[in-house]
Amino acid sequence: MAEMNVPAGGGGKKGHKKARSKKMSTRVDLTAMVDLGFLLITFFMLATTFNKPKTMEVNKPAKEDDKKEEEPPIKMSKTLSLMLTSRDNVVYFVSPDDIDANTQIAMDSVDYSSSGLRKVIQRRQSEVKAQWGNQDDLFIMIKPLPKSKYKNIVDVLDEMNINSVKRYAILPPNDPIDSVIALKIGEVRK
Amino acid sequence: MPKVKIPRKSTAIDMTAMCDVAFLLLTFFILTTKFRAAEVVQIDIPSSTAQIPIPDKDIMMFNIAPDGRMFFGLDDQNTRLKLLDRLIEKYGIQLDAKQRDAFRTLELWGMDIRTLPQFLSKESNERAQILQPGLKIDTTGGAQIEDLILFSRQENNNLRIAIKCDKTTEYKAFDKLIEALQNRKVNKFNLITSARTAKE
Repeated sequence: MAEMNVPAGGGGKKGHKKARSKKMSTRVDLTAMVDLGFLLITFFMLATTFNKPKTMEVNKPAKEDDKKEEEPPIKMSKTLSLMLTSRDNVVYFVSPDDIDANTQIAMDSVDYSSSGLRKVIQRRQSEVKAQWGNQDDLFIMIKPLPKSKYKNIVDVLDEMNINSVKRYAILPPNDPIDSVIALKIGEVRK
Repeated sequence: MPKVKIPRKSTAIDMTAMCDVAFLLLTFFILTTKFRAAEVVQIDIPSSTAQIPIPDKDIMMFNIAPDGRMFFGLDDQNTRLKLLDRLIEKYGIQLDAKQRDAFRTLELWGMDIRTLPQFLSKESNERAQILQPGLKIDTTGGAQIEDLILFSRQENNNLRIAIKCDKTTEYKAFDKLIEALQNRKVNKFNLITSARTAKE
């Protein structure tokens, strides 16, 4: 394949006495060097991690050690509760303002896809807008059950971002209504 | 008639340009490569539309495996050593120079702090074989994780908290970590995800 580096003229000075210093070719066979270069490139290309992971920033409210002035409770008609279950779906409902034994709660479950949860959030946004005039009044309560997956919470937080929901919170499922719902869908709350 | 002589051409090609290109690319890849640290556990991260790239330095990393085991790591070796001094002081563990050096190069670990000296005295290839039990997070472990958070942040005030969880990690385990962080007044943290588009 490549040329052999045969010494030109068969041994320099011996052959011709006139030419005192026989001109040697300055050309070096680079084939091997190129081979080596590409080998190393291949290695580094494979070892490189190209897509650097992204991060999602989460800000939690500080734990209230010092009891601040209690904010007025949010009107439940401005809210949407999302309960993340262990079965890779989300149960959504709007809690009523008062609960008693015969309160009926409309609830349904959807998946985390753009045709599922996203539609639910967008529908609720327009409902809130119709009732209160501003869709940013919507407050979403995210209630992950202990058996739900980490992926689920990331998906939900992502939906908040995509639908530009201004107000949301991750809350433990401790309200009385949550226990009713959890019981209905057969999930453990603690 | 004279024979038509076909001049013999040399098969040798000038490789100089090719060589230049090869080494230029090589240089680029060498400079841009950041080697992936050997992972203690395999973690498959979820995807999100978040676009913020992960910061290059001052990271306190928590990993949670699918089974809920938790691992801890600092990116800066000096901070690691400072943290180790604090741990030695608090937990009364004894470490020689070799073990200290082993800790300095430890990317990620998860075990009871009191068992660290034993783990560090092993050779690095031996260490990779060991299944680490995960950090002690419950109160029987004296809330060791909270000490790690506190000491690290005291040694380096600019530390940012990055959390890397597997897709299938249960929320319970993640919640425990958040609680530990909040107990130490850390209310802001970064969840590591891979990129995707909103349509998916």
